[in-house]
Amino acid sequence: MTGPAAVPALSGTQESILAAYTELIEELGSDDVSYRVIARRAGIAERTVFRNYPTRVDLLLATAAWIEATLFAREESRSIFDIPLAIREAMERYDARPELAHVVAETAMRGVSGASPSPGREQLERLLDAEAPALDPARRRAIVAALSHLDSVGTWVTLRREFGMDRRDIADAAAWAAEAVLDGIRHT
Amino acid sequence: MEEPVDTATAILASAAVLLRERTFDDISYRALADEVGISERTIYRQYPTRAHLLAALSNWIERTCFPLPPFVTVSDFHAAVHERFRAFDASPAYAYVGARAAAISPTLDTEPAYITRAIEAMLDVAAPALNRRDRRRVAASLRYFSSAMFWARLRTGFDLDAGEICDAFDQAVGAVLARLPAATWAEPRATTPGPGRTEPLVSRPGPGRTEP
Repeated sequence: MTGPAAVPALSGTQESILAAYTELIEELGSDDVSYRVIARRAGIAERTVFRNYPTRVDLLLATAAWIEATLFAREESRSIFDIPLAIREAMERYDARPELAHVVAETAMRGVSGASPSPGREQLERLLDAEAPALDPARRRAIVAALSHLDSVGTWVTLRREFGMDRRDIADAAAWAAEAVLDGIRHT
Repeated sequence: MEEPVDTATAILASAAVLLRERTFDDISYRALADEVGISERTIYRQYPTRAHLLAALSNWIERTCFPLPPFVTVSDFHAAVHERFRAFDASPAYAYVGARAAAISPTLDTEPAYITRAIEAMLDVAAPALNRRDRRRVAASLRYFSSAMFWARLRTGFDLDAGEICDAFDQAVGAVLARLPAATWAEPRATTPGPGRTEPLVSRPGPGRTEP
């Protein structure tokens, strides 16, 4: 995600449910947390959790969106050429919260029934158009898609898993790849 | 009735059948047990959590439905990834399982995927003079742009079909490889670029530039 994500306004109760579930994911993993345990941690009744989030999938998607918008939030980029810096910072944030990073990555890979896999797309398009207004549509689309892909927690997950990279190596490789994608529009 | 040779595999084959009509989340252990004709407990013994099941199912699908064509050169690599993306498009439910399994917190000590090793081997041959840091950057970029996650993101988030995803892949990989100085490359690529090599995102001024 690139800028502040569009998260529907949450009630105080909802926010305390999501925060409680987030804590428990970090302590226990996302599989083993019951609604009863979440309710107890949030200090509310179990049926209140059910009323707000009728299914586990509802709860998980809301939690992933909340994590993206709060714990993984970052300053808005003012230029498309700031995106590699934002990506570098994002990778460092993901690395500090590995359990949560996996949860957010996984919810974005569920197809249409999951979280949006490219929440920053519109902002990237806006920034790219400001810098390179005359790009042909296929190139514009390819650049936005490549940056959107790099600017996601999937990058951190993949580089860590497939190459055993640490925080510094992941931040470096992701930002480097984003600079490569931007090379094509530096002089337009 | 013959005992299934391997219960773990029978479970995965049945899960794959169920995936044709429902999402992974809608496949309960109960339904899966009925489909295989075994007890729910047996499934829990094989796959203690849904994350275990997802990881194993993804590996099984990868082996049986999406075998990676071998590649040695960069142009073969492009061709192999195109073939995979087209196969993903033909079986999206299976491909999403792969993308999703690649995102979860690893359940077992997961080995790097075969494609990761193949990309590293390709770079060893194609760019023997490349320094270690840049080699890691390039390998990581090529790996991530050739992933099921890339296909899934572009399909769901950008509404692209396999042809458009292959094009975006070629442009991204072209941009990454264009960062490396020409002297990096072993002879064959410098003199005769393969047929699968496409224009990078870097615009080259002057005529002769053709869009793929």
